[in-house]
Amino acid sequence: MSRALLARRPRPPRGGAAVAVEVLVCGSPDRGDDGAPMAVMARLREQLPPDVKMRAVGMLDVDDLLSVPYGAGVVIVDAATGIDPGAIVDLALTGLIGRPDGLHPRSSHALALPEVVGLAEMLRGRPLCGRIVAIGGAHFGLGTSFSRPVNAALDPLSEAIVQAVASVRPPVAGPA
Amino acid sequence: MHDLDLASGGSGDLAIDVAMMTRVEGEGSLRLRVRNGVVEEARLEIFEAPRYFEQLVVGRTPDEVIDIVARICGICPIAYQMTAVHAFEHGLGIEVDPQIRALRRLMYCGEWIESHALHIYLLHLPDFLGYASALELAKDHRPAVEAGLTLKKAGNQLVELIGGRAIHPVSVRVGGFSRTFRRSEITAIRGQMTEALDIARQTVDLVAGLEPPAFQREARLVSLRHPGEYPMNEGRIVSSDGLDIAATDWLTEFQESQVSWSHALQSRDLAGRPYLLGPASRITLAADQLHPLAAEALAATGLAEEIRTNPYRSILARAIELVDATAEAIDIIDAYEPPAQAATPWTPGPASAAWATEAPRGLIFHAYELDQRGLVRNARIVPPTSQNQAGIEADLASFAPQVLDLPMDQATHRIEQLVRSYDPCISCATHFLNLSVEDLS
Repeated sequence: MSRALLARRPRPPRGGAAVAVEVLVCGSPDRGDDGAPMAVMARLREQLPPDVKMRAVGMLDVDDLLSVPYGAGVVIVDAATGIDPGAIVDLALTGLIGRPDGLHPRSSHALALPEVVGLAEMLRGRPLCGRIVAIGGAHFGLGTSFSRPVNAALDPLSEAIVQAVASVRPPVAGPA
Repeated sequence: MHDLDLASGGSGDLAIDVAMMTRVEGEGSLRLRVRNGVVEEARLEIFEAPRYFEQLVVGRTPDEVIDIVARICGICPIAYQMTAVHAFEHGLGIEVDPQIRALRRLMYCGEWIESHALHIYLLHLPDFLGYASALELAKDHRPAVEAGLTLKKAGNQLVELIGGRAIHPVSVRVGGFSRTFRRSEITAIRGQMTEALDIARQTVDLVAGLEPPAFQREARLVSLRHPGEYPMNEGRIVSSDGLDIAATDWLTEFQESQVSWSHALQSRDLAGRPYLLGPASRITLAADQLHPLAAEALAATGLAEEIRTNPYRSILARAIELVDATAEAIDIIDAYEPPAQAATPWTPGPASAAWATEAPRGLIFHAYELDQRGLVRNARIVPPTSQNQAGIEADLASFAPQVLDLPMDQATHRIEQLVRSYDPCISCATHFLNLSVEDLS
C-alpha cells in the first residue's frame, strides 16, 4: 500500500438528523418497469411527513448512502428481476450481506447492492437502519409505459414504502 | 466469487467454467478447455440480452441519437455521446468553437476518472491483494477504498457539471451544448480536481508496486493517436504494427462477425487477426502525448514496456491515465473562457457520418447514414469490448497453460483476474445482432 494513501484520514461524520428518513429512489423513468419507483415518488410526496426526504438517485452509489444523515433511517426503492412481475419485496438492510439468495446487479451496475451497503456502513462506522423495497418488473426496455402487473402494483408499492418508512423512523423522545 | 462450476480432468487437463463473471460490467461467462496442456477452447461468452440500439436510432434526428446512445451504458455514456456528435459534425461539416471542444474533452476526462477509479479500486485491486470483493478489501485497506471513492465522485461530478447529470447526461448537442457555462461554474470544481490529481499520483505509486502474474505476449494493439494531445475525442487510428488510418475509416480495416457462443459481435481486422484496445494500447501508442505529470509518473515506474506486453499491468496504465485526465482537467478549467454561443447553428441534411473516440475501455466507432431530411437511415455502433473479445480469448489461450499446475481455485482466480484486466463492459458489447437459425432436421 502507498504510505500516502494509508495516511488519508476518514471522512468526517456528517451532522444532525433534521431528516428522519431518506427514501432513495432508484431506476430510470424511460426504461419501462424500471421507472415504477420514480412514478410512485410523486404520489408519495403528499403522503409522507415533512421530515421524510425523497431523493431520486438513478443507480444507487455508495455516496448516496454516505449522505444519509446519521440517526436517520433509509429506504431504498428499486425495480428487480427474479421475482414475479408486480410482486413487492421488503428486506431489511441488516443481514443483506451474505444472503444465500444473493442480490446481483442486473446489468452494468458496477457493485452489487450488498457491497454498496456494506461499504457505506463501513465508511460511516455504523450500520444503516434501513430497508429495501423492490418491485418485480417484466419489461426494462426503452419506453415510459409499465407492464400490466407493475401498473396494477403501483398502489401496493406506495403502501409498502410508507410502511417501510414507518418501520425505520427513529424513535421520538417523549416529554421529559 | 459465485456460481462456480469447476472440474479437473487430471494432469494436463483443465476445465474451467465460470458461470457468471463477477466484477465486470454486465452478464458474461467464461469457458476454457485445456487437454494435455493444449488449449482446445477459450471462450468469453457474453449472454446479456442484445440491445437493439442500432435499430432504435433509425428515423431519429442527430440530437435525438446523441441522447439515445448515452443509454447504452451507465458507465461510459460520454463515449457514446462524443463519438456520435463528432461523427455528425464531421459528416455535416460543422465547425465547433475551441472552447466547446475543450469542454467536451473536460467532460470525457470526468468519465475516464470515474471509470478508471471504479475499476482500479473496486473491481481490480481486490484481485491483486487477495480479496473477494471491494467490501473485503475495505475491511483491511479502508483508506485505499476511500481514495477510490473520492476519485470516482470527482469524475462523476465533472460529468454532472457539464452533462447535467452523472448518469446518462443530456447537455451534448450537435454543434456544441444545450447551454453555455459561466467561467465560475467550471472553476468551482477545480479544488476537487486538485485533490483528485493528488490521489491519482498516489494511485500510480500504489499499483506500480503490485506484483502481477508473470505473463508476456505480443498482441496487436490499436488506439487513436493525435499529434498534439493524448487521444480522446480526435486522432487517427493506429496500431502497433504500423496501421495509420483516419478515424472515419474503421470499416476499411476491421469487420464484425458473429460467433455462436456470444450475443456480442466480435471484431477482427480484415485478415481475421484479433487486436486489443484500451489504456495499455493508448499508453503504448501515444505515451509521448501524455500530460507532463502523467509522463513523469510513467517514467518513474519504469514499466512502460511491461504495460505493453503484460495485460495484468493494465491496472497501472489506468492509473497513469488517471493522472493524465485529472491534470488535463485542471489545465482546461484554468484556460476556460465561455464560448460566444452554446452551439454552432447547423442545417439538417443528408450525410455519411463516421467517427472514433477513445472510451475508457478503448476505441469506439460509430457510423451513420442520414437521409434527405437529416434523419438516421442506418447506424453502426462498435463498442470497445466487442472489439476486444477475440483478443481476450487469444490471451486466455496463451495464458491458460501457465496455470495448469495450480490448484483449481487459484487457476480460476488468475483467469478471472486476466479477464478483468481488460475491464470488459459486457452491457456495451451486446448491441444489435443479426440472428440466424440453422435447421438441423
